[in-house]
Amino acid sequence: MKTEELLINMGPVHPSTHGVLRFKLTMDGEIIKKCEIVMGYLHRGTEKLGEMKTYMQFIPYTDRLDYISAFPNNYAYVKAVEELAGIEVPLRAEYIRVLTLELNRIVNHLVMLGSLLLDLGASTMIMYGFRERENALQLFEMLCGARMTFNYIKPGGVREDLPDGFIPKLNEFIKDMEKRIDDYEQLISGNEIFMGRMKNIGVMSAEDAINYGMSGPSLRGHGVNYDIRKIEPYSVYPDLDFKACVRHECDSFARYMVRIDEMRESLHILRQVVDAMPPAKPVSQAKYGIAPMTGAPTAVSTYFPRIFTPPVGEVYSRIEAPKGELGFYIVSDGSIKPYRIKIRSPSFCNLTAIPKMVEGLMIPDLIAAFGTIDVVLGDVDR
Amino acid sequence: MNPAEEIKQLFPDSVVSVGHQTNKPLAIIKKEGLLKIAEKVKEMGFDNLSVITGIDYGDRFEVVYNFLSYTKKQNLVLKVVLGHENPEVDSLASVWKVADWLERETYDLVGIKFRGHPNLKRILLPDGWIGHPLRKDYDMSVDQFVTVGEDGEDIVSTDGSNLLRR
Amino acid sequence: MWTGDIMFANAYELIVYILNYIGIYEPINDIFKMFGIEYVLRIIIVLVEIAVLLVFALLTIMFLTWMERKVVAMVQARYGPMVTGPRGLLQPVMDGVKLIGKEDIIPAKADRWVFTLAPFIVFIPALLIFIPLPFGESLIISDLNVGLLYIIAISAVSPIAILLAGWASNNKYSLMGAMRAVAQDISYTIPLALSAIAIVLFTGSLSTVDIVTAQNGTWFGFIPKWFIFLQPLGFILFLIASIAEMGRIPFDFQESEQELVAGFFTEYSGMKFAMFFLAEYAHLFSVSAIVVTLFLGGWSLPFLTFIPGALIPLVSLGIFLVKTYAIIFFAMWLRDTVPRVRIDQLMNLGWKIMIPLALLNLLVTGFLLTAGVFR
Repeated sequence: MKTEELLINMGPVHPSTHGVLRFKLTMDGEIIKKCEIVMGYLHRGTEKLGEMKTYMQFIPYTDRLDYISAFPNNYAYVKAVEELAGIEVPLRAEYIRVLTLELNRIVNHLVMLGSLLLDLGASTMIMYGFRERENALQLFEMLCGARMTFNYIKPGGVREDLPDGFIPKLNEFIKDMEKRIDDYEQLISGNEIFMGRMKNIGVMSAEDAINYGMSGPSLRGHGVNYDIRKIEPYSVYPDLDFKACVRHECDSFARYMVRIDEMRESLHILRQVVDAMPPAKPVSQAKYGIAPMTGAPTAVSTYFPRIFTPPVGEVYSRIEAPKGELGFYIVSDGSIKPYRIKIRSPSFCNLTAIPKMVEGLMIPDLIAAFGTIDVVLGDVDR
Repeated sequence: MNPAEEIKQLFPDSVVSVGHQTNKPLAIIKKEGLLKIAEKVKEMGFDNLSVITGIDYGDRFEVVYNFLSYTKKQNLVLKVVLGHENPEVDSLASVWKVADWLERETYDLVGIKFRGHPNLKRILLPDGWIGHPLRKDYDMSVDQFVTVGEDGEDIVSTDGSNLLRR
Repeated sequence: MWTGDIMFANAYELIVYILNYIGIYEPINDIFKMFGIEYVLRIIIVLVEIAVLLVFALLTIMFLTWMERKVVAMVQARYGPMVTGPRGLLQPVMDGVKLIGKEDIIPAKADRWVFTLAPFIVFIPALLIFIPLPFGESLIISDLNVGLLYIIAISAVSPIAILLAGWASNNKYSLMGAMRAVAQDISYTIPLALSAIAIVLFTGSLSTVDIVTAQNGTWFGFIPKWFIFLQPLGFILFLIASIAEMGRIPFDFQESEQELVAGFFTEYSGMKFAMFFLAEYAHLFSVSAIVVTLFLGGWSLPFLTFIPGALIPLVSLGIFLVKTYAIIFFAMWLRDTVPRVRIDQLMNLGWKIMIPLALLNLLVTGFLLTAGVFR
């Protein structure tokens, strides 16, 4: 008796927040033999658009890449521009940037936990995660007026200073979040069924993981201690005390636990940032007029002209986004618009590992492993 | 001695010049020696290929590879200059698996072919798309319409007259 | 009940007693006897009983759909339905109206008759289980001698109906889903039956009323003589097996949208689709009622000797419903908290862990009984 291989299509529409991604699975009974990923349903031509906008006009486009964590996207682009043109940033602005980056890391991991568990069948975690996210989004709204696409970090600093009442509310959030992470651990991590679904699923050796271009928390779950904040430190991270969270089991459970650890580390960093935030230095604005419309310097931004022409050159700069290594490669030919912008997105490169990881697994395992890689389609397709 | 100069010492005839790309060591190499140099770079400890960028300058193409070594905390940039007609270069998919999709994306958007690539198909745009968008001579006035066929595959056409329009 | 013997054997006798009390039984009976058809009166009384039971069952199912949504919402820190009716109580009515208004699609190549019949074949056994359930003292439709066996046998009809539904859809994914559901059903019926049989060892009778009356009284004056204390392992096995049989989370891979099949009811729409869900909630209630009957003492509570005889049926009904809803609440609470079990882990659990444990339970119970440990 012969058995045939079946071609199953896990179509573009997915029930949880991952996005439109298509899996073409060749199955032998219940086991996946080959997995081919078809993407591009969300391709918006961001890189081409970058060639037609000025440097300042491109910042809102970066928000929409990984729409769950928009601050790191902003920051990666702005860091590349600053490296290219050698712009300095006041210290207070750097601290505010780190504050937003770490807060966004927590928000991102909450969404990942929620959608992972929603895929597995426990619908409670996503409700709790989004309840906490709501508090964080209200903080963001206080800061820059938007909840999801911020457009807040600009070359030279940030757009506006922290409003009054932000720091007390942030302290409240940190205290609240500390207790909630313990709650989540109690709800999820010790659950037998959850461990049965996640342990020894999606196993990949560390060398393979590095070779397939994985980065970020997904890679640190394989025992590779690679955190860009430690290897190529940027901003004020050298002055902050934190550790890169690493787990060594190389399976989905390890990747999930790394994110729980990372949320705690982010809270630790946030506390240090709130303590160490330098006060706003007054800046003489007589020469430049009203800030920030004319690009004049403020307490949180150095001078950045409206017509900005960087020197001719190329730069590639990377940061540790919540999903992995996010990098911008900018080629400048001295005009007001970039010549070429290339975005190295973490979700795209993490996704290369999926076809290898799911060979020999069943479809529920594919869903569990895919959930821990934490893919957002805005990042994959750009 | 920075990694680019090491490469120049080991492969003196493949390396055109050595320099810096905004504080990262840069080596411009000829396309014939790419695969050998890539294998050597991997041996040197650069196990992370961060990004492959294809750039269209009106008269030439450039492919830029950015590497990072975790253990030695060093960066390296390799650049290959290609002619404007039929740009083709060796594929690094056998050395770093992430190059598989990065090269497919470069082929898709910039039009650079990679020899020896296991599966050089378009990745972000549908298979029937005409042209390579990130080239400077891409014609943006032509609208291309994508619909889904009976078997779930995308159909691309420039004729949108049979689609519903308001 | 609290004194050890029950008032009436079943609800029929209760109704006859009430009619006698009012004084209208004899005259009506004479009228019927005149025409020689006094059995018609008996049939009418039984029909009234069944009508009351049906109304109760359907109202309970409607209430359970509302309760499920509210419980899930409360666990997830939100409100649930609030708009339709006070606190959303009319939500099931609105759901019913919506489903009745949907277009009733039958796939072109499906087997029409089987396709239409299958939901009903799933729903009716779920209602039939209500017959030997002791809702209160003398509030039982029919005290069958083989009540427990009847319950287990009737619940075994639902795999057949599921297979009919999957087959009649003429859709390979529905058939695959149906086969998986049947496999799950069958694997968990065995530990269910084995745990229930351990109870029979104590009472020596399959009748549900006997099982409840065997749990009267207390040990040491305050621990009620419920079988949960004598059979803790059996209780756990029975509970897990019944949640698995119903296809609720954590055992509901059938309904997980990410699986490639949407289950055996993919092709159903409108009221036929509603029948499957009504059957599930009816099953939920009846299974919780069986758990309460077997392990938690049914309608008896040991300290209430002061209730006057006329109120005993009502009070016992109230106690029974409270206990049943406690078990239903536990099942709903479980649904919100844990993720799904994968299908091969599910089969593993059913065959390799639960059946040996159930057999062990049976063995140990039998051993201890013959050794004279209990009573």
